Amino acid sequence: MAIPGLLSDRRVWKALETAAPGRVRHADVTRDAHIAAMAGRLLAETAGPLIVAGHSMGGRVAMEMARQAPARIRGLILANTGHDRQKPDELPRRMAKIAAGHRDMQAMVAAWLPPMLAPGRQADAALTEELAEMARSIGAQVHERQIRALLERPDAMDCLPGISCPVLLLAGSEDGWSPVAQHEEIAAALPCAELQVIAGAGHFLPVEKPAETAAAVAAWLARTERPQIAETPLLDRAASLRGYRLNKMAMALAEPANRAAFREDESAYLDRFGLSPRERAAVQDRNWEEMVRLGGNLFFILKISAIDPVPITAIGAAQAGMAHDDFLKQRLGKT
Amino acid sequence: MAHIIGGLGTSHVPSIGVAIDKGLTGTPDWKPFFDGYDAGKAWMRAAKPDVAVVIFNDHGNSFFLDRVPTFAIGVADRYRPADEGWGPRAVPDFEGAADLAWHFADRLVESHFDPMICREIDVDHGLQVPMELFFGRPEAWPVKVLPIWVNTIQYPIPTPQRCWEMGRVLREAIESFPGGERVVIMGTGGLSHQLQGRRAGFLNREADLAWLDGIAADPERYRAMSREDYVEMFGSEGAELIMWLVMRAAMNPQVDLVHKHYHAPASMTGAGMVVLENA
Repeated sequence: MAIPGLLSDRRVWKALETAAPGRVRHADVTRDAHIAAMAGRLLAETAGPLIVAGHSMGGRVAMEMARQAPARIRGLILANTGHDRQKPDELPRRMAKIAAGHRDMQAMVAAWLPPMLAPGRQADAALTEELAEMARSIGAQVHERQIRALLERPDAMDCLPGISCPVLLLAGSEDGWSPVAQHEEIAAALPCAELQVIAGAGHFLPVEKPAETAAAVAAWLARTERPQIAETPLLDRAASLRGYRLNKMAMALAEPANRAAFREDESAYLDRFGLSPRERAAVQDRNWEEMVRLGGNLFFILKISAIDPVPITAIGAAQAGMAHDDFLKQRLGKT
Repeated sequence: MAHIIGGLGTSHVPSIGVAIDKGLTGTPDWKPFFDGYDAGKAWMRAAKPDVAVVIFNDHGNSFFLDRVPTFAIGVADRYRPADEGWGPRAVPDFEGAADLAWHFADRLVESHFDPMICREIDVDHGLQVPMELFFGRPEAWPVKVLPIWVNTIQYPIPTPQRCWEMGRVLREAIESFPGGERVVIMGTGGLSHQLQGRRAGFLNREADLAWLDGIAADPERYRAMSREDYVEMFGSEGAELIMWLVMRAAMNPQVDLVHKHYHAPASMTGAGMVVLENA
């Protein structure tokens, strides 16, 4: 699913069609005045697993979709986006933009667009006219609605640590609107993200550098979507990244001193490994299924059972979502 | 020259070690499993090897995810059994076959393999359990060991074909090593099991039984399979069976299947062994 940003439509995500021919569904985010409503509508209009690509404001919608429906979102591609709430000086500027749009959309777009592009591309008449035409076609009403949605945007930082799917962040080295540093902050908060900075691209990276965008997305998709065997999580790059802290915490329990520290004050022991609140809760609840979902691997997290004994078959049953007795009978053939 | 006197395949399930430690080998759950190894132990006593090459995977005990060698070779004089979190086990240290190991490392690199070479490292249940299954729990091990670690945990794991090629180099190395050592090769891991995900508890008894015969008579079939095929057929952790291919490739194309044994489940695993001799 390809989500455009402010004053944009399917034209910004043409590169996605090159990267994943025949698989792109373009989203309409012109109808709602809240990010959460946009995300809710896109989820309601579709069914099943999705990889969601979002540009700028669309990236915020994509992150919100992952927050609302974590089980359905299998991957995120976030380009030129951000995570912060409304800035202190933002409101008057945004309101002025809304008014300017209602006065004269053509003039508003002509002023708005150039700083969005890499400095070297601002004189590219074909590029600027294509984007200006797109923005004008969206119109002043939608412009106002989307600006109001942006003003009310949630702080995406709150939900990032809970997004466990693989994420590709694309930033433009010349993007003055959503700078590279902002993407680095997002990457740092996500369990499983990789950031690619496209040289010479501004805030309309997917349009300014379509070939580079398509290549980056295609390579990421190939890594993310290797053929998977049903119900069988393998410790691949994504899981290894995602579960690293959790596995490291558990593996350290092979040391007698760490076992003693865990026994004495589990919470303090967990603090040493920088676990997310969700990882910490999974460990403290001995929720094995959740630990594996968060990237934990049995070979490592099993060390917890050296302190707090539980049969491995009970852990297996939890993975399978079965009662222990049923698991022993049905899966292992025990009578 | 050193020579290969047998190729063994066996499971290395950690609960087997726990059962030995707790004296549970005679219980109804475990007796049928351990009884099946009597023939393997008797074969080993008669064969009197000097060196056991043990191909296994570490389970985070010596290599965490901070560094994951695809293949690693032990060249140490001595290996301590790892404390895996349940306290030290009463397993004697293992004496290393350092000279043969260095010779093997040379041959590997000359053959364009690039293994990690380990001078100081503990060995976990992946090596301990197979040794206990075939040698019991002696005061001191009657053989030196040459450990070969294969990453079967973090993807990408090596291909079955690459494991096979390593076995060919292993044979060359043994047969070009000056000395008269009698060498057994133990491929370990498997058989079918899966510890994680909704498919946890997956067992494939039919495929396991076919494997025990096929690894002797028709190894080409298993050499040709992909890693995904292994995961599909034997479960995510059952893919450890690729390590038996190192052993099998070091043997003659024609072998005699001298002993085999199968019991499922041992803990959550289809467990068993083969003893192969060159025909």
